[in-house]
Amino acid sequence: MEARQGSELLLEYTAGRLEPQAVAALEAHIESCPRCREFAQSQEVVWQALEAWEVEPVSMDFDRRLFARIENTPPSWWTRLTGQVMHHAVPVAAAAGVMILAGLMLERPSVMPVEPPRESAQVETLGPEQVQSALDDMEMLRDFNHLVRPDSAEPRM
Amino acid sequence: MTLDYDAELMLRVRGGDGASFGVLLEKHRTSVVHFLFRMVQNYGVAEELAQEVFLRVYRSRESYEASAKFTTWLFRIATHLALNALRDGKNEKFQERLDDESADMPARQVSDARPTVEQKMVYQVRLDEVRRAVATLPEKQRAAVLMHKYEEMEYSQIAKVLSCSESAVKSLLFPAYETLRARLAHMA
Repeated sequence: MEARQGSELLLEYTAGRLEPQAVAALEAHIESCPRCREFAQSQEVVWQALEAWEVEPVSMDFDRRLFARIENTPPSWWTRLTGQVMHHAVPVAAAAGVMILAGLMLERPSVMPVEPPRESAQVETLGPEQVQSALDDMEMLRDFNHLVRPDSAEPRM
Repeated sequence: MTLDYDAELMLRVRGGDGASFGVLLEKHRTSVVHFLFRMVQNYGVAEELAQEVFLRVYRSRESYEASAKFTTWLFRIATHLALNALRDGKNEKFQERLDDESADMPARQVSDARPTVEQKMVYQVRLDEVRRAVATLPEKQRAAVLMHKYEEMEYSQIAKVLSCSESAVKSLLFPAYETLRARLAHMA
């Protein structure tokens, strides 16, 4: 087995990161190769030693200190630059917009809104035929009342 | 490229979602601090560097692009800061004396029962051996070993963190493990 390739395989094998099929093949080789067997055993010692190297927990106020630093950190040069641009550009742009609008308004002739035509009072006018018909109806009603109540006065219309 | 969940969270941070930054902090805080401690072997410095890591992550949020795994970017920042700190000539100040009280067993016990004095001494001796062995590794070899062992990173990801080829990563790892096998052989 080539040295570098062998080292890589044995490292991954002892770290438990080798695929199952490769593990079986490598273990068969290790059985018959004292050098690889020695490598694997000594590397196991290294893994166990490194795994035993525990580190104390992160301090309780880590986040608080970090957020305090974030709050107190001045903005980056880019943020400052874009902030300055926005700080000055927005009012200038707004003023320019107002001036342009005022100019447009002054140039255009004043146009009074045209009032919609008022609807003229609708007077119902009757034609002569309609008047005659109404009079005929009144006379007919008077005759009818006279027949029904011969003693009654003129009917009230 | 399918985004990993952490990259999606970071994109939300870019969009102004501060809660997602909290989730990322909660998830990666311990591994970053522990990585930095094993690099510089001084707990106070490790936490300061870790604060700087997350501060840079937060300040870079507006320009973040999910071009790689989030942890690749995170550990690139952490490794960069650790290497700078070590090269700034503070190595001797950083490394706590290995017989310092602060190098005692961490609060979290391995077994349920309180360790005896003898067990504590044995543990301390073994711990000192491991710390010295890792401390003797050149800085980049040390970073590669710590990412390979404790973060379980593949060679390809370590290569991206260290901005080198996979072949270069193997050239860091194999000699590093050879050194550790030699120095820790008596612990078998």
